[in-house]
This record gives sequence, structure tokens and C-alpha cells, in this order.
Amino acid sequence: MLRYVLGRLPSALGLLAAASLLIFWLMRLVPGDPVDTLAGPDASPEARAAIRAELGLDQPFLAQYVDWLGDVLTFDLGRSFVVGGQVSDLLAAGAVNTVVLTLTALALAVTLALVTAVTAVVAQRRWLDALLAGINTVALAMPTFATGLLLVLVFAVVVPVLPSGGTPPDGFVARPDIALQYLLLPATCLAVPVWAGLSRFLTEALRSQLRQPYVTTARAVGVRHRRIVLTQALPNALPSAVTVLGIQFGTLLGGAVLVEAIFTWPGLGRLIEEAISGRDYPVVQVLLLLSVAIFVVTQLVTDVVHAWLDPRIRIGGAA
Amino acid sequence: MTAPHTRPSFLRLAAAAAASVLLLAGCSSAVGEQSSGSGASGDPVEGGTLRVAATTDHVPAAAFGQSSDVGNTLIGLVYDSLVEYPHDSLDAQPSLATSWEVAEDGRSITLQLRDDVTFHDGRPFTSEDVKFSIQTFADPAWAVQVQRTAAAVTGFDTSKPHEITLELAHPLSNILDLLDIVPIIDSETYDELKEAKTYNGTGPFRFTGWSPGSKMTFERNDDYWKGAPKLEAVDVQVVPDAQAQVAGLRSGQYDLALGVTARDVETLEQDPKFDVHSFEGATQQQYIGFQLENKDLQDVRLRQAVAYAVDRQRIVDELFRGAAVASGLPWSPSSPAYDEAKGQAYARDVAKAKALVAELGDVPVLPLQFAAGQPAGETIAQIVQANLEEVGIEVELKPTEFAQMYKQLVGAQFEGLWIFGHTYAQYSPATLTVSAFPFNAAHNASNFTDEEYLADSDASWKVADPTSEEARELFDRVNDHIVDNVWLTDLTTSYPRLVSTSAVHGIDYSKRTELLLDEAWKDQ
Amino acid sequence: MRAALATPKGVAGLVLVGGIVLLGVLGPLLAPYSPTQQVPGANLVGPSAAHWLGTDDVNRDVLSRTLAGIRVDLLVVFLAVPAGAALGMLVGLVTSWWKVTDVLTQRVFDLVLAFPTLILAIALAAVIGPGTTTIVLVVVAIEVPVFGRLVRTSLRTVREMPYVEAAQVVGARPWWLLRRHVLPNSLEPLTVQLALSMSVAVFIEGAMSFLGIGVKAPDPSLGSLLKDGTRLMYDAPFLSLGPLLVVVLLVLGLLLLAQSLSEAHRD
Repeated sequence: MLRYVLGRLPSALGLLAAASLLIFWLMRLVPGDPVDTLAGPDASPEARAAIRAELGLDQPFLAQYVDWLGDVLTFDLGRSFVVGGQVSDLLAAGAVNTVVLTLTALALAVTLALVTAVTAVVAQRRWLDALLAGINTVALAMPTFATGLLLVLVFAVVVPVLPSGGTPPDGFVARPDIALQYLLLPATCLAVPVWAGLSRFLTEALRSQLRQPYVTTARAVGVRHRRIVLTQALPNALPSAVTVLGIQFGTLLGGAVLVEAIFTWPGLGRLIEEAISGRDYPVVQVLLLLSVAIFVVTQLVTDVVHAWLDPRIRIGGAA
Repeated sequence: MTAPHTRPSFLRLAAAAAASVLLLAGCSSAVGEQSSGSGASGDPVEGGTLRVAATTDHVPAAAFGQSSDVGNTLIGLVYDSLVEYPHDSLDAQPSLATSWEVAEDGRSITLQLRDDVTFHDGRPFTSEDVKFSIQTFADPAWAVQVQRTAAAVTGFDTSKPHEITLELAHPLSNILDLLDIVPIIDSETYDELKEAKTYNGTGPFRFTGWSPGSKMTFERNDDYWKGAPKLEAVDVQVVPDAQAQVAGLRSGQYDLALGVTARDVETLEQDPKFDVHSFEGATQQQYIGFQLENKDLQDVRLRQAVAYAVDRQRIVDELFRGAAVASGLPWSPSSPAYDEAKGQAYARDVAKAKALVAELGDVPVLPLQFAAGQPAGETIAQIVQANLEEVGIEVELKPTEFAQMYKQLVGAQFEGLWIFGHTYAQYSPATLTVSAFPFNAAHNASNFTDEEYLADSDASWKVADPTSEEARELFDRVNDHIVDNVWLTDLTTSYPRLVSTSAVHGIDYSKRTELLLDEAWKDQ
Repeated sequence: MRAALATPKGVAGLVLVGGIVLLGVLGPLLAPYSPTQQVPGANLVGPSAAHWLGTDDVNRDVLSRTLAGIRVDLLVVFLAVPAGAALGMLVGLVTSWWKVTDVLTQRVFDLVLAFPTLILAIALAAVIGPGTTTIVLVVVAIEVPVFGRLVRTSLRTVREMPYVEAAQVVGARPWWLLRRHVLPNSLEPLTVQLALSMSVAVFIEGAMSFLGIGVKAPDPSLGSLLKDGTRLMYDAPFLSLGPLLVVVLLVLGLLLLAQSLSEAHRD
């Protein structure tokens, strides 16, 4: 098992290193620089040069890159050029909001997917299957911005029962009932595609498990259908479902950018948008690198969990 | 065979789902939590926190330079200036300075200062602080628009703690503008100010904290020299989205919103639960600039055709919902440079514009830049594009990132036409022509150079009294230069309109668009 | 493939996609106004006989804009996706022939796919500026690795087949191998992926224009119309309904096509 994990590390680290160089280089290609944003329209060339030197932007490209990489590796994310404050503070503030939103969406999606998939397989009703498949296809066809717009139109404009955006004024802990209402629309919006993908896959996986010989045996000795689904088929279908969930999770951050824009949710997605338009290199670089890191780690974790859940890999060692 | 067992569980599931919805509905509603303002403006009440929604966050490195909403509010709440302009005139009123006198030759000004003022940390305010503050503004690193004027203050006599004499390089018609604009800062905490850790002023509220991208908080200064404010505290939250500000105002999340669109102001105005606050003295202008280094724009007739073609009134009606004035010059009626006739010199005249275009023959496609992501800029750009198409001028819209717009404004690098905003026309006219980048006679964004314009603009700056006959004559000539040469043409003059719940009273503002809350209070 | 499209799903998908393509192609004939024409006085009016979907805040007919907006999506769906697919297949085929280029290309593909699409789009738009070209480039950039991988997988499968190994031994040329064995074998998964990628392309156009890094004003796209609708949601909730419906139906149609193709492939 350990060998399995260690075997995957080098390529993951290589990917991260390549990504960091690409990101750093990409940011230097962006026209407009933070000096202009900071100096304002009337700054003299000397003032601009002073600001440039203070930000370290007068150094050669590779020196800047090595400097930055060294800092990031020692968890010194530096200061934001424009937004102000330490990058780590900005990141932490945004991350809390994004993580709460993403986890809520994930919990919502997984719960609903389990419920719908198991219900469909247990109930064995044609109409229910057709209905769920229909809803599923429509859900997959709804782009995030369309879902978000529709949710806001219905629940905040036409029937104003839920806030159209923003985070709860008293935080997530002090008033959980209020916080839940603020979370409901954006989390649903983010959860819809994840639910659709996961529930479709899980339903298929459960059905294919039910065709396995061990199920026939179980049925023959009189085990009830529902019991077979819950105690036999579901545990066996889970490993591959986790893989699918992992792939979905990777897309969540991308989805969060859009959902945060629609619901004016001050998370990492909003931060990256603001930082890019303000040419705030330190913030953008760290965020881009973070998104790649999340992807890499998710893949790694997915593989490991998959391996751990799948006895063939767990016992067999390296794959 | 298995169905009978499954049906109850399916029903149970549905019931559980329904119950949870009911449970959610039974809780207090986030939307329903309206601050129940009585609407009746009774006697002022002490206490309470004013929750403000602001569009743009503070930029520490440009604390005095750019006008971010949060930064502006910080200056307005924490600091005082030496004099204060009333909303509708340039007749400066005492603030930290009780009286002042300009020398005969206009080469110095002597101010008497209050002796009962202390900074928030308890240190008494003296003439040294005035010197330090003006010198800070003269430092190019802060990149403030009035830097040239602050730098024209060449000597400081601070021998007495409550009197200061400023020596001037030459008479300054806009010296009082400078004294209205410069906040009096504390020299001893200057390093912390640069780090955005402390903002130590003499104003009605103390700075208590800032979390970037989120909010800035203030508490009441009980020792304020004008008397303690009524509000206990002020929380300014960053809410970049205009729709979210309105939604938050409606749900009672905010008491006051700084960035409501004109259309929403119009709607909220009808609602007795909300009050609209108009900052009419703090005007802002939208304009079209022309890059004169672009060969196609060097013929003044093309620029004139553009100025004639644009439908300024339509922008006023549709975008600003009537709360603006259409004029080709930036001045308001209270300005000494105001000239109604010249402001209307390029009133919409499609026939004239077409005639000018016909004279020119073939007009190439011109690039028109505007700040991307700002709905107002995009709307104006699209209206202008349609107006120009009507007279036979084709433009290509080029949305440009705000940071990039700034760079091109600084470097005078716009490609062709551009639409942007400017301010500072509410001050002495010279402040605009020696400072504001689109107009700066020495070096402007259009690369327009003209000996006479430079001479007249400089001369108007060096007249001691901006309301004198001599000054007016020079401003008149400046207006002629703008009208004749059209390196830019103003479109509209508007002013900020804020919306609060009707529970909020006594909102005020400074000429520099800063929110003033020392008299404000909130129904409990 | 023909059988797949004859299933109810396939027919429904064809009808939806075909209908919207038709609307887009005939748009200029059907539209009562030009998409950028500003109708004097018609400021944000609701749906009426003159303006079926109302007008926006710059006095333009939203129906005409929606019809014109479809064309941008058609460009992205039927030009950018096939272009990305072709390029990806070419790169996949050529590079997987040699071990070194194969490994290198795979790592580059990993790198591109490691960025969330939308974040990649924002970064790219910051470098080259917003616009339709940017949307096309983003779509191409993410489709190249997807199709590159797909082709590589089927290539490897085919190469391991005994008869192919035998053919190689007797000196068959690579191009013969590709034409005779690789392409026919990967045709089914490729068409499924093509339909899926097309639906993703509609997502990307919409999301980018929604964030303001897509088409440039005054030209409309389905995403930019939805952005305007969101901005003016409280004043004119009707603005976004038309474009919303078209976007969802277009994606739905493409998904149904993909599903019917993949089901036929599996059976």
C-alpha cells in the first residue's frame, strides 16, 4: 500500500513543479502590471521605479521565480500587491467560505445521489427509473450559470424566500438556521451536476452488481432484495463511485468560480477573479498553484481510497 | 416479491424530506429579518452600529490617491481637514483651522489652528502635523491628483503650535482645495499607516480593524472635538456586486449601500422603507477622450463630429435615470468656470456631424476603449457606438481591464477613442487643469499639446483668488481651448446617490465624495 | 451510428440540436431587428407583440439578440470542438508512435487538464484579452488533450492485437495501420466524445461570457445575454428566459445525442 502511494508521488510532484513554472511565466505575459494599479495616473517615473523595486519586479525572471518558489515552499506566501494584506490571510478568509460552500454542496450531492440511486434500484419501478433518468439528463444539461440564474429568479425574485447572494452576516456558527438559508441556493447550484453524474453512475454500478453470481446465490438462500442492495451491492459499488466523485471534486473549484460570481460569495473563486483583473501576481500565482495542487491531491487521494476499498489492489500491493 | 418492503421506506424518505423543508421554513427567515425601521424620524438616538455596503475595497498603497469606497469612507470617518467646503460653493468653512489669511502677494497663507484637538491616541494636534500631512501629499509615491499643488507649498513656519504659515512657490488659486482635501495625519504612526495597521486621526470615528476583501470597522471617538457622534460603531463591508447591495439592503443586512445603480435607486426611491441620499456637490464626469497620436484622429473635424453625434441626454435619461446633466464641459453652476452656452456648444446635432464626416470623406474604423466589467461604461460605449454609426463613423468596442485602462491613461497610450470617468471639476477650476489627467495642460492622456492652453491654464492656477475677474477671464479662455480643440468631450455630470433604510438619519458627505457620519443616527 | 440516432433519445437530440441550428442559421431572416439595433424609446420594455422577449437596457430587441447569440455558440460547437478534436487526434497519433514524445505529450496533457477549465479560461483571457477568439482557443486547448488521450488509448489497444503485431512484423507502414485499424476502431468512442465535448463547449462559452471574458459588446452570445439578464434581474426578470431556454435545450440535445451514441456503442 505504501509502495503504491510512494510510486505515484514523483509524477504528482513533477506536475506541480511544471505547473508552477507555467503559472509564473503566464502571469508575466499578462498586459498591464500592478505598478500602474498602485501608482495611479499621475505618478512620476521615479515613483513608479521605486514601487517596481519595492515589489521586486525589477529582478530578472528566473530570479523572481526562484525567490517566489523558495518562499512558497517555506509557506511564506508573501504580500498582496493590490488587495492588501498577507496573501495567506486573504487565502484563509476566502478558503473558509469556499470550503464551507463546497463541502455543503458535496454533502448534498452525495446524500441525494445515494438516496436516488438506492431508491431506484430497490424500488424497481419503471416509471420511477424513467423519471429519475429524465431529471438526471436535464440536470446534466443545465449549465451552472443557468441553474444559478433560475434558482435566484425563482427563490429570490419571484418568491423572495431566500437571500439572492452573499454570506450570512453573523457567520456560519452563530446563527446556523440563517447560515443554512444563505448556503442553500449556491450549494444546490454547485451540487446539481455532481449529483447528476454520481447518481447516474451509482445506479448503473448497483445494477451491474446485482447481476453478479453472488447475488444470485444470496437470493437463492432467501436474502431480501433490499438487504442485498444495502449490504452487498452498495459496498461493492462504492470504490468506483469514489473515483467518479474524485473526478467531480476536481471540477468543483472551477464551478465555484462561477457560483461565487452568481451568488456574490466571497470565496477563492471571487478572489482569483479580482486578483487577475488587478494584476495581483502573488495572489493569482498562489491561487492557480493551489487549484492545480487540489487537482493533483484529489487524484492521488482518489487512487489511494480506490486502492484501499478494492481488495485486489489493497492486497496485491503496487498496481 | 420485494416491492412491499420498499414502499414504506420510500414514503418514509419522502416524509423526512418534507419535514426538513418545513423545519427550514419554520426557522427565522434570512429574508424576513428586516430591520423594522419605524420610518418616523423622531429625536436622534444614541448607539447602534451602522452597516455599510461598499463596492470597492481599500487599497493601502493608494490610501490618499485613488477613490475606493472603503478607503474614501476611512478618510471621511477617521480624519479631519483644515477647512471644509460646503456642498454648493467654494466658500471654505473652518474646521481644524479656525481662520486663515492669504498674503497680499498671494505667496503665503497663514492659518490659525484649533487648540483643543487630539488624535485618537491622545496626542495633541499641532502645526507640525499640518506640515507633515501636506508634505506627505507632495510625495509622488502616494500618487495623489493634487500632488503638484501640494508640492507648490515650499515652506512651513511652525514656530507656534497653533498657527502655521505656508509659503507658496507662486500664488495658488486652488490652495483652499488642497486644505479641504488633505486629511491631517499623525506623523508618529506613519509607518503603521503605510502598513495599513493603524489609521490615527482626529476625526469622529476610530479605526478598529480591516480584513482585506471583507470589511473595515470603526468605533465612536468619544472625545471628538465637535462632540461625540451618536452611532456606536460603523462596519463597512465590501460588496462588489450592485445587485447584492440592493438585496442586502432589502433583507436588512445593510443600513446603507454606496453602490446602488441608478435604476435601482429609482425603484427604491418609491419605497417608504428606504431613503435616497444625493451627493450633489461631489460631481463626477463621464467623457470621451481622443488619442491625438492616432493619425485618424488628428483632424479636429472628426473629433467635432463625434462631439456633435453623441446623444448625451439619452445617457442621462436611460443610464442615470435623470440624475445627471448633459454637458460638454465638466463645470457645475457653482464653479467660477461654469458657462452654460459653452457647455452646450456640442449639443446633439446629427446634421452637423454628418456634414463634417462628409467633408472628411472616408473615415476608418476607430477603436473605442472602455473599462471592462463596469456596466455603466459598457452601456455608454454601446450608446456612443450607435450614435456614431448613425453619422457614418464606425467604432470597434474594446473592453479593457481596469488595470490596463489605468496604465494607458498614465502613459497616454489609448489607441483611439476611450470612455472613462473623471472628477475634481467640483473644485477650483485650476485643480482640474493642473492635476486631472485628461485635462492636464502640461501632459495629458490625449497627448494634446498647445502653448496657449498651457499658458492660460498655468496663469489661472497662479491667480490668488479663483473668483476674481482676472481668474474668470482665464477660465473662459480655458473653456474655449477645450471647445475648440476637442481632445476630449465630456458627456455627463452626475453625482453619487446612496440608499439607506429609512431608519438611518443625518447622512452627510464631503466635497471629495467621502461619507460623513458625525451627525448620523439610526432608529433602534 | 445510424441505428443509434433512430432511438427515441437520438431522435429527440437530433430534433433539438437541428432546431437550434436552424434558428441560428435562419436567424438573420427571422429576426425582426438587427441584434445591435437600438430602438429609440424601447428601454427595458417587457414582452410584447413588437418585442416577443422584451428589450434590454440599451434598447435592443432581445429576441433578435438571442437568435444572433445562437450563432456564436454554433461557431464554438461546430468549429472549435472539431478543430480541437482534429488537432488532438493528430497530436495523439503522431506522438504516441515514439516512446519519448509519447511520455512528453502525456505530461503536457496532464498539465493542461490539471487546471480547472474556467480558471484556465480566466488566465488565458487575462493574457490575450476577452473575445470570441479567446473562447475558441480555450475550447481547443482543453479538447486537444481529451482527444489526444482517446486516440492514444485505442492506438495502444490496436497495436497489442496479434494480427497487428503480425502486420508490423511483415513490414506494414504506420499510416496503413492507422487508416485500416486504429481509426475504425476508435470511431465510436470518438463520436460519443465529440457530442459530449460539444455540450461542454456550450458551457464554456456561457460561463466565459457570463464572467465578462467572452464575446465583446455589442455582439450577443447566449452567455452574455444571461449575464445581462442577471444584472437586470430585479428590473426585468423576463430578459433571461429566452436565452436560458435555448442554452438548456441545446445542451440537452447534444447530451441526448451523446447518450444514444454511447448506448448503441455499448450494446
